[in-house]
Amino acid sequence: MKEPFTRRGDAVAVRLGDDERQVLRGLTDVIEAAGDADGRFAYTAHPNDTDAEDGYRALLGDSLDTARGEDRTMMTATLDSKVLDEEAAMAWMRVIGDARIALAHRLGIEDDSWEETQDPTDPETALLMYLGYLQDTLVRVLT
Amino acid sequence: MSNTTTPQRTDHPSADTDYESDRPWQVIVWNDPVNLMSYVVWVLRKLFGHSVEEATRLMLQVHNDGRAVVSNGPLEKAEHDCHRLHHHGLWATLERT
Repeated sequence: MKEPFTRRGDAVAVRLGDDERQVLRGLTDVIEAAGDADGRFAYTAHPNDTDAEDGYRALLGDSLDTARGEDRTMMTATLDSKVLDEEAAMAWMRVIGDARIALAHRLGIEDDSWEETQDPTDPETALLMYLGYLQDTLVRVLT
Repeated sequence: MSNTTTPQRTDHPSADTDYESDRPWQVIVWNDPVNLMSYVVWVLRKLFGHSVEEATRLMLQVHNDGRAVVSNGPLEKAEHDCHRLHHHGLWATLERT
């Protein structure tokens, strides 16, 4: 089986079929449809200190949502590329991670044993596992 | 980590700056069932420059104990670290040391 990502100097070569790229093109919708995923994407730094959290919010504004949106834009813009620079590869890595979190939320996954209990023929479970494979390969290429 | 027993002098003492004092904060990463172990190790190395051994030790602590302290420092640094972890999809919060 060909590797989907391989190192090429400072860049990452991508070997994905059109069908695979089409799946990745849909990840933005998967993430955006999840909303805050019952709080999973509603990150807080100070969960037990309202004043400190207000200060953190005032400092950050919507920079986290902006950064996550920019990652999705970057991935969409480079989906047909045969080579990714490191910045784009890292954006792909984070979008794939967000999509896995959104899918896990849709599947009601709440504990570490899901890989033994979920039906691997379920399409969303299969996508979750496929995205894990892609992300793991990217991690190895970028390490 | 040592605890300071001598009172610390601040240039602009006020109630408003109390929680922004030099008392270190620690950044906690919590276990979640989705993020890959390899990805968590990669993020900890990338963001904090940990060795592969240290990043792996912290990842396993998160996995086995449910949480681990991955960095610490003044509030501003800790909040910046927390923000970067959130951007990478890790569930992170802050605590005073």
